[in-house]
Formats: sequence, C-alpha cells, structure tokens
Amino acid sequence: MYQVNKRNGLKKGALVLLTAMIGFSLAGCGSAAKPAANQAAEPKQEAPKQEVKKDEEKKLSGKLVVYSAGPKELAEAIQKGYEAKTGVKVEMFQGTTGKILSRMEAEKANPVVDVVVLASLPAAQGLKKSGMTLEYKEAKNADKLIPEWSDKDGHFFGYSSSALGIAYNTKLVQTPPKEWADLAKEEWKGKINIPDPAQSGSALDFVTGYLSGKGDSGWDLLEQYKKNGVAMAGANQEALDPVITGAKSVVAAAVDYMTYQAKAKGEPVDLLYPASGTVISPRPAAIVKTSKNVDNAKAFIDYLLSDEAQKMVADTYLLPGRKDVKAKDRPGAEQIPQMKVDWAWMDANGDAVTKKFAQLFK
Amino acid sequence: MQLTGTLSLQRIGMALALVLLAALVVVPLFFIFLSSVQGSQGLDLAAPLRTVAGSGLGEVYVNSLWIGLCTVAGTTLLALPLAWVMANTGLSRHRWLDIVLLVPFMTPPYIGSMGWILFMQRNGYMEQLLPAAAAWTPHFFSVFGMVAIMSLHLFPFLYLILRGSLVRIGGSKEEAAALHGGSFAYRFRRIVVPLLLSSYAMGALLIFVKTIAEFGTPATFGRKIGFYVLTSEIHKYISSWPIDFGKATSLASVLLGTCLLLWYVQAWVTQRHSYQLVGGKGARRSIYRLSGWKAAIAWAYVGGLLVLSIGVPYFSIIAASLMKLRGQGLAWSNLTLSNYVQLLAPGSKSMQALTNSLTLSLAAATLAVVLGTFLALMIHRAKTWPQRLTDLFSMLPNTVPGIVIVLGLIIVWNAPWMPIPLYNTYGMVVLTYVVFFLPYTVQYVKASFTQLDPALFQAGQVFGGKPSYVLRRILLPLIVPGMLAGWMMTFTISIRELVASLLILPPSMETSATYIFAQFEQGKVQLGMAMAVVSVGLTTAMLLAVNYLSSKKDWDV
Repeated sequence: MYQVNKRNGLKKGALVLLTAMIGFSLAGCGSAAKPAANQAAEPKQEAPKQEVKKDEEKKLSGKLVVYSAGPKELAEAIQKGYEAKTGVKVEMFQGTTGKILSRMEAEKANPVVDVVVLASLPAAQGLKKSGMTLEYKEAKNADKLIPEWSDKDGHFFGYSSSALGIAYNTKLVQTPPKEWADLAKEEWKGKINIPDPAQSGSALDFVTGYLSGKGDSGWDLLEQYKKNGVAMAGANQEALDPVITGAKSVVAAAVDYMTYQAKAKGEPVDLLYPASGTVISPRPAAIVKTSKNVDNAKAFIDYLLSDEAQKMVADTYLLPGRKDVKAKDRPGAEQIPQMKVDWAWMDANGDAVTKKFAQLFK
Repeated sequence: MQLTGTLSLQRIGMALALVLLAALVVVPLFFIFLSSVQGSQGLDLAAPLRTVAGSGLGEVYVNSLWIGLCTVAGTTLLALPLAWVMANTGLSRHRWLDIVLLVPFMTPPYIGSMGWILFMQRNGYMEQLLPAAAAWTPHFFSVFGMVAIMSLHLFPFLYLILRGSLVRIGGSKEEAAALHGGSFAYRFRRIVVPLLLSSYAMGALLIFVKTIAEFGTPATFGRKIGFYVLTSEIHKYISSWPIDFGKATSLASVLLGTCLLLWYVQAWVTQRHSYQLVGGKGARRSIYRLSGWKAAIAWAYVGGLLVLSIGVPYFSIIAASLMKLRGQGLAWSNLTLSNYVQLLAPGSKSMQALTNSLTLSLAAATLAVVLGTFLALMIHRAKTWPQRLTDLFSMLPNTVPGIVIVLGLIIVWNAPWMPIPLYNTYGMVVLTYVVFFLPYTVQYVKASFTQLDPALFQAGQVFGGKPSYVLRRILLPLIVPGMLAGWMMTFTISIRELVASLLILPPSMETSATYIFAQFEQGKVQLGMAMAVVSVGLTTAMLLAVNYLSSKKDWDV
C-alpha cells in the first residue's frame, strides 16, 4: 500500500494545493454569505419588536443575558425573582469581575450580554468611558440610591456594596491586629493573605483607594507587607479559605460580607475595620449598549433597585445600595470608618497599580 | 483498476482530513497569531518577540521548561518500574490495577492540588493526624511538591503507554537473548530500551507538553509557592483585568514554538526507532515468577504508589466533602452527609451540571473517536508530507495550552462573518472538547496502527479481500483497543474539563467542573469536593463497565 503512496508523492503535493484552494473558496463563501445572512435575519428580529411596542406597552417576553459577579446565591435569588416578576428568561454567567470583563472582551465582535453586574466601581467607570454602557436615567428608585456609589448620568447603579476589613481566625488569634500598619509587625510574619487585585474588583478598589489617599508613600506599607511574607492569594474567597481552615491567620483587605457569611455558619472567623478608615467598594450594575433586549434589561435594573431585591442584598450580608434599606446583622455604611479616596484617580490608575502590585507580590 | 479506485478514495479522504483540521484547529490558531501581531498601528510581526523579551518573562519561561523536565523525570521514575512489573510479572493478572490507576489521571489537577494543599498546609489534615509532621510539612510547599503533585497526576498516562509497548515487545525476543546468554541488564539495555524508545519518546513528550500546558496546578499550588509559569501568565492576561490578548497570544506562540520543536525531536526519535512488533503470528507471553520477597517489594511499590497518588488526595477530598464546619477540622462530630444530600437533590443546579457534563462528554468522546480514527488512518505512517501535515495538525491541540485554543475558537466562531451560529450553544462546547481531545484518539489509534505489519493487509488482499473487507475484518479489530482507549480517555477528561468550559459554556449552563470551581470561589469547598467525589466515582464506574465488556470480547492485544 505504501509503495504506491511513495510513487504518488508529487500528486499528493498537488492535493494539498487543492485543499488550500478549497479552504480559500470556503472562506470566500463565508464572507459572501454574511450580508445575505444579515439581511435575512435583521428584519425578522425587528418586526416583532415594533409590534410589541405598539400593541402592549409593558408586557415583557423573551430573554435576558446577565453576566454577574458573585455572591452566587444572591445572583440566583435575583434571577429567580426577576423571572417570576417579568416572565423573562434569564441566562446567567457568573464569575469574578475580571472574568466578566475578559468574556466581554472575547465577545467584542458579537456581543450577547445585556446586563453586567460587577464588583468594582472603577471597572464600571471604565466601561462607561469606553462607551459600552447604556444610559437609563429613569430607573425606578434610582433617586433613593447612595449617590456616591452610582453614576449621576444613569450609566451604572451601585445596587450594593461591601467594605474591606481585617478578617482573622478566632481560634488562632486572640488579640487581632487593629490597624493596617499592624499587619507589618513581626508577630504576623507568614500568617497573612491578601486577595489579588487583578482578580478581585473590591480588593483593587481597596489598594487603589488606599494609594489615592496616601500618594506614592502608600506603597511603603505594601512593601512592608511583602517583607512580612504577606501572600497574594487569588480572589477573595481563596484568600479567606485558608484563614477558615487555619492555614493562615489573617486576611488583609478581606471582603466583609464573605467573612460575615462564614461567621454566621459557625466558622471560627471574625472581621474588624481599622479606625483609620477603609474603602467601601460599590458593586455596580449596568446595561450594555449593544443589548438586544433593552426593555428587559431596564426591567432588570428596576428589579435590582426594588425593595424585594434590596432585601435579598441585605440577607447576603452586603450593604444595600439604597439609603432607605437597612443592613442586616452587620455594621451599616455609616458605621464603617472610611478613608478619603479619589474614584477618578482610582479609575485612571487601576491598570498601573494592578501591574505594580503583581510585580511586588510575585 | 481497483488500485486507482482506492487511490482516489484515499486522496479525497486526505483532502477532507486536511480541510477539517484546518477549519477546526489551524484557522483558530492562526487567528490567535493574527491577533498577537495586530498592534494598534497595523501589523507588527515582531510584537510577540518583543513581549516575550520583556522583563521577567524569561524567568517564567525557564520555570515552565524546568517544571516540564522535572515532571518527565518524576513520571518516568514512577511509571517505568510499574509498567515493567505489570507487563512481565504475575501482577499482570490484576487488571483492576489498570482501572484504579486511571483514578489519579481522572482527578482534575486543580482538585488534586487542592487535596494536597488541604493535607499538607499549616493545621492541615496531616498535622491534625500527626502533629509531629508540622516539622517537615512546610518543605512540601516548594518546587519539589509541585513536581510531585504533577507527576502523581500524570504518571498513569506514561504507564499505560509503556506497559502497552512492553506487552507488545513480548517475551519471545527476550527469551531468545536469554537463550544466547544475555543477562537481565544486557537484555534490558539491548532489547527493551531500543524497542521501548519510540513509545517512551512519545509518552515523555506528551507528559512534557501536558505539564507546561497545565494550568490547574500552577494556579492553585504554584501561586501559593510563588512559582509562575507560562500558562499562569497567559491565564492572567486572559482572565483578569486588565486583559491583554496580545501578550497572552505572544506567550502562547513561544510555548507553541517550544512544543513544536520538541515534537520534531520526538518524531525524529520515533522514526529511527519504530519497529513492527505485532506480526501475523501469535505472540506468547512469558511471565517472571517473583519469589516471596521480590513479590513483596513489587506489591509494596504498587501499594505506595496508590497511597500517594490516590490515598492522600482522596482522603482530603472526601474528608472535606463530609465536613460541617471547615474551621473545626477532623473530628467525628464534625462529619455530615448533608453536603451530598444537597448536591444530589433532584432538579438542583448541581444535578443539572452533572447531567450536562455526562451528555457533553458522551457526545464529545464519540465524535472524537470517529474523527480521530479517520485522521489516524489517513496519517498512516506519516511518510508523505500531507500525511505529516495531518499528523502535525491533529497533534496541535495537545501542544498548545487549552486556553489558547479556546480563545482561537471563540474568535473564529463568534466572528461577525461566521455563518454557522454555533457560538453560545451546546454544540460549541462539544466542538471544543472534540478539538481538545482529538490527539488522544489519534495517538492511540496511530500507536496500534503503526505497529501492524503491512503483511497483514497484503495477505488480506492476496486472498481477494476488497478494501472494505480488509478494513472490516483485519484493520478495525486490531485498532479497536486503540479506539476504545481514545474514547475512554476523551470521556474521562472531558468530564473534568475546566478551562474551556469556563470560557465557552453558554450563560446559565454549568458542568460539574465549573460547578466545583464556582463552589471553591464561593467558599463552599465541601459542596465542590462532594461533586468531585460523585463525578470521579461515576466515571470510574463507567470505565469499569467498559473494561468488563471489552475483556469479555478479548480485545486486549
């Protein structure tokens, strides 16, 4: 059999050329097919939309694609509640802020997402700046939101928020560190985790927030942390987990609601806020400009700001985004000492800080 | 007349194979390359090079190569004695060992690493069981520990390849040498090593490539010890903000270049050291009888291997899945089955994830076997260059980190010009799995195929067998074990596939792997570990069933 093959080596060469030609012609077909396909598809999609608008003003249908940062149970509860209320089917992708942004980047050419729910305010500011968000000033209850957490032009809504603190294992730690500076002390050497700002939106908010207040001298503390063996440990839960099991003793810049959730379950952890102040990191939701289900997306934002969803937020130990909804079994926003931060600076310098932080803690 | 008919059929097949591979593998990778050279000011061919020459990346590159080399050494150390024992001694009767040894390989690397971390960390299970261990457990958190974890995960892979090859070498050649006075060492050096070399080169290369393309262990264990490799860097640029596809794809092309170079070396070795070992004549196995203490050593070795590769990680996984409160640690009062009850509740998200995984993997494995067998037969002995090209292309998914392929596939299938609306559907996931795991079937089928003596087919033809008859009665029965191995491999790995699933699953669809990952992220390690136990248990049960059925038909060579 293969003697025959040898003799036909030349012909095989021609065969590859042929294959290549087929490849090119296929590619040609692909590009030729595009306008036709689009023409065929577009009128079909638009026709029913207009009908809906004319005939019944408010009745929603179809689907909504949401990319949501955790916590998972909250996202699922909101999904269920929204579906029950509107009859719209929600398709949800869950991940960290970084993963959601990267998925959006990967799908740039052909976006499917309608609403993004992130865990970092600068990330939302960035989306707005690059023109990827849709304005929705008329959102219901938007006037009751804490103004600093949301966009004044209605491009994104801080429907909830978390604060960063010092979490510690209560079995291992009798006298917890009280201040950010305490974590640089010898007694904590090798016992501290810090979440990776590249993965955790709220951790990034803390680091940039701290630096925006302190200027370049803020890096001194982080350098001392590094010298003291503070380990960079993935996103928030990955940083907290070893403290729950006792592999580490303390998380610097721990997301508070996760700690409160673990504590409520009975795990030996607790959290405190340094008196010198911390950063509250709002979790914004925004409608994506390329959304094909704008009405559904707007209804989703309305739902996020409704009494019902805000109560779910409080039940997850997050800080509710509305001034008139109380936090549950935890300090409210007004009880948490805050440091002075500059969100515009944080938005502008997020990338550089992430890079420098990664280099420092590598 | 008949000959030309066969020929044109072969040509069409060849063309089809190349077109398929181009569409599935080459074009997506080409787009990755394209995006890596497409700077803000038009094309910039030097961009990938400049990126890699950039600060700090040299060290990462060396780290990758180093961990790859160490893991090849580690797996060889673990797999070679085992393969020899299982091929040549009375232990070979215990075929259940082959199935058990698939368990470490079926354990998702990030879960295995997690198991080791939970076991060895400060106040971990090791210290809870044996407080004195606290003196040395910290030493595990080093490159040594990482190599150990990766070797214990990958060695079954090399073992299966080596044992298969050793079995095919058979006893008769060694017996002939013994008859002429060759000592054991001489026989090993002059007969076993040369005959084993091509299989070993292939196995070692695959281990190397799998190691440097692995992201689970570096992402969990490597990050803990501050050891960064190419994949973790690529993953960082792709999955965390700020995203830099250009950098990721540049790093990927360096990785790809390295792997292609190694592939070339491996192909060269294989070509020089490939022999037909399966002839038409019946092969007879001769078995060493191990005396008492030798048998004890052999069993101790096998036992020790099982404890380290399965015992330790699964102790952690199962213990974690049974805990009420993780902060309480190992205590009888802290055990509960409630995590499993929650996991297996009908209609729950976790059950949906499990069903999704099973159906996706079944579809992917079946498709991959059909496609892979076709490709392997087209590649034949990789003599002509279209065949070699097919070989190269079909191996590409194994030489490129999964995440890069996934991105390539996303870019292509989600492009505005793409007429087939596959993206964001079930089909896209199956397609990705097929592309990912195609090399397994191709490798397995090729391995059984290249060792068949052409005389077998010539005999079939001489006696008037038409090509279809030869295919059905001679070729297929002889390559079925390869196909079966490919199917099992694809099924078991796609059921735990994480990287592609994370990026390509349509929104609101979960697989068991993404479910586990999400549980870790959400701090519900117990639920995640329970899912790990269930999904690995299911695949093991399935493998046992397949093995039982196939052993009845006596397909094993």
